[in-house]
Amino acid sequence: MSEWLNILLRSAGLFALTLLLVRLIGKRLTSRLTFFDLVTGIAIGVIVAALSLNMVQNFAGGLVALAVWTVFPALLYLLAIKYKAVRDILQGKETVLINHGKVLEDKLLEARLTPEDLLGQLRKKNVFNFADVEFAVLEPDGELSALLKKEKQPATPKTLGLAVVRESVPQTVMLDGVVMDEPLAAMGLNRRWLHTELAKAGVAPENVFLAQVDSLGQLYLDLFDDAIQVPKPRARERVYVSLKKCQADCELYALGTRNPEAGKMYEESARLLEQAVRELEPLLTR
Amino acid sequence: MTVGVQVKQTLAELKGIQATLKTFAQSGGNKEANALLLKNARRVALVIEKMEKRLGTLEFEEPQYKGF
Repeated sequence: MSEWLNILLRSAGLFALTLLLVRLIGKRLTSRLTFFDLVTGIAIGVIVAALSLNMVQNFAGGLVALAVWTVFPALLYLLAIKYKAVRDILQGKETVLINHGKVLEDKLLEARLTPEDLLGQLRKKNVFNFADVEFAVLEPDGELSALLKKEKQPATPKTLGLAVVRESVPQTVMLDGVVMDEPLAAMGLNRRWLHTELAKAGVAPENVFLAQVDSLGQLYLDLFDDAIQVPKPRARERVYVSLKKCQADCELYALGTRNPEAGKMYEESARLLEQAVRELEPLLTR
Repeated sequence: MTVGVQVKQTLAELKGIQATLKTFAQSGGNKEANALLLKNARRVALVIEKMEKRLGTLEFEEPQYKGF
């Protein structure tokens, strides 16, 4: 058998084998690489490369090495799920680098990080001033996680004291011009509804690249033809504004009428509408 | 524009709001939002009821503007 054919068969076989063995290890390896994962990956790669190029005299021995380097990590990962001690050895522990806003120099040394490294990692998290950090941890995979000081954290509706209403995820009902029936049905809608909405927006169905429906049944569109401006759904804002207008109207009538009974009725109406405006504001305007 | 006509306009707008709120509540969403929408649709319905009663009186006082 000629040399090249030998290498071809070997490589093809090893390719398939490695694919299977790597599956055995699981998804961990790619998602969060610890130092040990890296070593395992490189070892497997080197063994496979050496075997497929016929650089090892003992082919069976190479296969055994490959098996060991895949089965052992796989077993270890399984054990690690069960026992914390194994986990600590395998993945290492996280290192607290900044606590209460103070950089812990000895921990930095332990993690073999220079101050420049720390600053660089913080910058990657969009933190340019180390004084903004309350707490920072070096994760076992080398990623830095930072908790900003309370006053430096981005404002959320909660910190601003704003009420919000929980809403479900928007459903994607058209992809690449194809109607997705299942998400439509999940929203309690159908193709006819979709076609009506598209006609309302003045858009041909075959021109739609993406279409999503939010939890209030509003349709958001993106077209193939980017020159066309799609009207944005405004129903929420419109209802909110007209609700406010009606409330103002009622107040106006209450002032205008000379009939005390009617005045009371208008005031009562204005009060009811005001309550509605207040309650619906989070849903309709945020 | 007489008061009667103005009240009629507000009434129409309120009916539109009520319908839209109900449509919003119809379209899936989640329970919390739906309950909120329906509650406020009822509130608007209450106002509509009051205004309609008042409109009856107004139409009696200004019969020339009766009807839509």
